[in-house]
Amino acid sequence: MIDVFSYVPAIVLLPFFSFLIALGVGKHLPKGGAFGGIAATAGSFLLSLWVLATVAGGEAANRTLYTWADAGGIGPTDIELSFGILVDPLSALMLVIVTLVALLVHVFSLGYMNDEGETGLPRYYAGLGLFTASMLGFVVADNLLMAFMFFELVGLCSYLLIGFHFREPGPPSAAKKAFLVTRFGDYFFLVGVVAVLATFGTAQFAGAESFPALAEAALAGEGSVAWTPGGVELQTWLTVVGLLVLGGVVGKSAQFPLHTWLPDAMEGPTPVSALIHAATMVAAGVYLVARMYGFYALTPTTLAVIAFIGGFTALFAATMGLVKDELKQVLAYSTISQYGYMMLALGAGGYVAAVFHLTTHAFFKALLFLGAGAVIIAMHHNEDMWDMGGLKSKMPVTYYTFLAGSLALAGIFPFAGFWSKDEILYEALVHGLNDPLLLGGYLMGLLAVPVTAFYTFRMVFLTFHGEPRTDTARDPEPVRWNVKGPLTVLGVLAAVTGFINMVPVQKVLGLEGIDLLHLWLDNHWGGIEGLSSHHYADIGPYSSGYLVGGEVGTVLVGAAVSLGLALAGLLVAWRLYNVPSPTEHTAKLGGIKDVLYNNYYLDELQVWLAYRTEDVAGGANTFDQGIIDGVVNGVSSVSLFGGSRIRRLQSGVVSQYATLLTLGLVALLLALGVTGGWFL
Amino acid sequence: MTAVASSIPPEWYLLLATAVFCIGLFGVLTRRDALYFLMSVELMMNAANINFVAFALYYGDLTGQVFALFVIALAAAEVAIGIGIILVLYRNFGVTDVTVPTEMRW
Repeated sequence: MIDVFSYVPAIVLLPFFSFLIALGVGKHLPKGGAFGGIAATAGSFLLSLWVLATVAGGEAANRTLYTWADAGGIGPTDIELSFGILVDPLSALMLVIVTLVALLVHVFSLGYMNDEGETGLPRYYAGLGLFTASMLGFVVADNLLMAFMFFELVGLCSYLLIGFHFREPGPPSAAKKAFLVTRFGDYFFLVGVVAVLATFGTAQFAGAESFPALAEAALAGEGSVAWTPGGVELQTWLTVVGLLVLGGVVGKSAQFPLHTWLPDAMEGPTPVSALIHAATMVAAGVYLVARMYGFYALTPTTLAVIAFIGGFTALFAATMGLVKDELKQVLAYSTISQYGYMMLALGAGGYVAAVFHLTTHAFFKALLFLGAGAVIIAMHHNEDMWDMGGLKSKMPVTYYTFLAGSLALAGIFPFAGFWSKDEILYEALVHGLNDPLLLGGYLMGLLAVPVTAFYTFRMVFLTFHGEPRTDTARDPEPVRWNVKGPLTVLGVLAAVTGFINMVPVQKVLGLEGIDLLHLWLDNHWGGIEGLSSHHYADIGPYSSGYLVGGEVGTVLVGAAVSLGLALAGLLVAWRLYNVPSPTEHTAKLGGIKDVLYNNYYLDELQVWLAYRTEDVAGGANTFDQGIIDGVVNGVSSVSLFGGSRIRRLQSGVVSQYATLLTLGLVALLLALGVTGGWFL
Repeated sequence: MTAVASSIPPEWYLLLATAVFCIGLFGVLTRRDALYFLMSVELMMNAANINFVAFALYYGDLTGQVFALFVIALAAAEVAIGIGIILVLYRNFGVTDVTVPTEMRW
């Protein structure tokens, strides 16, 4: 029997090799190293499928591969820092998603980058390879420190790829912004990693000696942790640690208030946006919370914070998406909003719901971005939706796949997004009926539904329906198989992925066994002890409440309300924008439009904050130069001055030296004599 | 030990040695000619030798006398080096006055 888990490192290393090849000899390869990347991600994808099948067969792996630092008993705890792999249902699923999207993005890049005559292709494919490798390493990480390292690598790659067109003014600035804003969150994450290591002496995710297990035992009074800061209660301290790690999540997953980098990241090439938004960077934050959910489930305060941030971000970002003119900008805000939903689900105890939405979103958002990429090719890199229109008949493949993605994003039955979003809202509702803060999150999430549907179909109608508004739109550039192929695959997935987890159908009709994802994440087919949704529900703080009609009634009401709201949003968009020559209706919003268009002036606020920080830094600088350096300079001036005087003793006349020696000896003898009492 | 030597108390030897040493020291501190330097240093060393020999006599122990021999040998060597230095001094500055060459200073 071949041990498939020993090939897991290869999943990570294959894209890494494609990075090395593209970087090293990409110039001499056809298509700038694209085929290396495609082969590598295809290989990773196949291996991931194999791993998925093996995990479905009841096996799992939690192995330490290499210990690179061992405290060896120094200090209160024996801390080992290591690299390892953790393959359980969650990471196996994520491996397949990441490799599949990465593969499709590589293929699409042939059409978007190579066919468009871009230069610097080896650099591009090297970036894609490293990006994929980093994310895969993050997915299989078996401890928090390793996860942090790959988390940072993901951030680095996003910087490299967003700033791909570095000769233009926008992309480098956007890349820097993405890097710095996510770094800001990562500072907290790093402190959190250290806190976890100090508190538990381990950063392992799974097993009896993992930090979630230790925390659980300690809270139950069955064990103790290695260290807590003096006088702080364990529960409070765990909440603090959870919030620190959450800082990194908020940064990477673009949650309020660190979401501002994401819309700017649209400066990167569109396939990169697809990769960032669907499967890698932004997904990393949510995945991290899911990975260590056994820890978060222990701290109700952190969960409430996650839920509230998520719900708020979902609504907040959706409103900004309402007024954007550029195709990719709308999608950017929809990404922020959708990840808000996932955070809401995680905070509401809907672990499965969050992973479900992560899965469906990966497919439909990758689809939408690649579709947008196809439109951008057709429109000769004009992204303004007001210059489009009527592309429906010119590019039917793109239109229908894009439509499938939009229906999924808007949450229209029976597309993927409907099932996952509905489950999130259901979880938030049933748990929120006993928890007002969570109910607030639910209401915000619910309000975001019609907004999402509206901006999604505003985008669809403006882009594909009506009359062409420019010459380019009348005669768009055709796209080739390498664009249509990935779109078709993703279009099918966006339509059908929801069927892997038809919880409402199961609950209403009483059918058993069609909530596959629930069973999958509940270790139904095997997994790792302590990493199951069942376990998380047991240790979590929530209890369920139901509306009239019990569970079935609540399911039906919840689904009907969210679907009704989504359809309402769609219909409003239909009325306003599905006309031959649509006009801007944003003026009717008055002052609100400006607020929304300028993203609630949050960028300005952050710039203002940055300048205030600069003032503080200026004060610190003055203090440093004046006081700190003043002391140092003063000491050196005294030494210099003293030295310049005292050195005159050294006259060069030997007799004087001899005199000094003699006088010194006499003085010494006198001193010794006086203290020693020789003269008494 | 001869009767004469043992009848002289050690203080006298010490006083003699101190006197010789101080004369040598005075020479070192006041003389400007390097040759006088050498001679003065020689005096100081001999003062030390007087002490060595005197106490060797006083304690009936030969170690001090052996030391004195060593010091004499050392003094010979020192004079050889000293003369060499003085020659170099003269070659470079044309004088043997130690206050003239003040190059090795701040």
